[in-house]
Amino acid sequence: MTDPAAPQIKTPVMIGIGEYHVGSGPMMTIGLGSCIGLTLYDRDLRIGAMVHIMLPDSSGRTDRPGKYADTAIPLLISKLVEKGSRRSSLVVKMAGGACMFEYFGNNLNIGERNAERVRAVLAEHNLRLHAEEVGGKAGRTVAFYPDEGGKVTVRSADGAAHEI
Amino acid sequence: MKLSSVQIDAMQELGNIGAAHAATTLSQMLSSTVEMSVPKIKVVDVAQLAEHIGEEPAALVVFELQGEIPHGGYIIFYISRASAVRLTNTMLGLTDPDRSLNDMDESALLEVGNIMASAFLDATAELLGLVMLPSPPSLTIDMAHAAMESLIAQMQEEIDEVMLFSTELMCAEHRIDSDIIMMPESSMLQTFVDRLENLMNPS
Repeated sequence: MTDPAAPQIKTPVMIGIGEYHVGSGPMMTIGLGSCIGLTLYDRDLRIGAMVHIMLPDSSGRTDRPGKYADTAIPLLISKLVEKGSRRSSLVVKMAGGACMFEYFGNNLNIGERNAERVRAVLAEHNLRLHAEEVGGKAGRTVAFYPDEGGKVTVRSADGAAHEI
Repeated sequence: MKLSSVQIDAMQELGNIGAAHAATTLSQMLSSTVEMSVPKIKVVDVAQLAEHIGEEPAALVVFELQGEIPHGGYIIFYISRASAVRLTNTMLGLTDPDRSLNDMDESALLEVGNIMASAFLDATAELLGLVMLPSPPSLTIDMAHAAMESLIAQMQEEIDEVMLFSTELMCAEHRIDSDIIMMPESSMLQTFVDRLENLMNPS
């Protein structure tokens, strides 16, 4: 039987490439390179949604909506609205979009294109981006804590972490 | 694409030949014995990549496969940051295992990666009768997952699964553990499989 007084150890939900999660407990995306970790926090309901976006455009694909900026954002909004969120209550943050390799220029900085597309799709849905930490050459691990006021932390390879 | 057990065996043998040549060059550079594992073939759904390659700091020297197939995928020399320090220490005659990596280490890692990738590709290209050339190398020393997901994001063919052919190369004397990983585009993989079938069943 579960002891109701036992302290709750909250292991973050790990969100893989193209996956998303909605809830109030901690969640994270590890080792973002050119990918984007996007978080939407509802400050009234104290819940949030996070997605690990890989590419800017779905080009009509529907099987993995979390993988693309253009399909991931409407998906997160609809999941939160289903739970009773109002758009005006949402705090939006993003991190990632780095360029890890300088040489391979054949696909023109996917990280930057991802970040640009996220900004554009948010604007189409009348959502303001409250904080972002994108670009550069380094990977990032992003953790999101809806039940701690929607805190978002970014950690680099050397272990240093900070809030955005 | 799905591989039959015969095709998997053939690809393993191809990886074995390539990795054996790469191991020989590493052994020469270190003047020490290098052991290699049996080549592993992993089909990884991108959503589960983190279960295979985590956020541990590592150096990755990456080459695009070029030649007859212009964007054939990647060949990667992968080494944990701790092993990378021991590797360059051995090459440069240094001893401090806790120092950070500098420009000289980066040059040394690029050079090691270059020599090993060339050996791997020369051996496999000759066997297959296929022109395969490595692009100039690109190096990153950072979270391994961040590097790998960036490579997958820029592959030519939009994919939900990647096939990783990896062989572990170990030098016990200097406690160096590294992997040589090939991540082909599906067009390249198809070419490998076709050529290997021709070799086994010459008509």
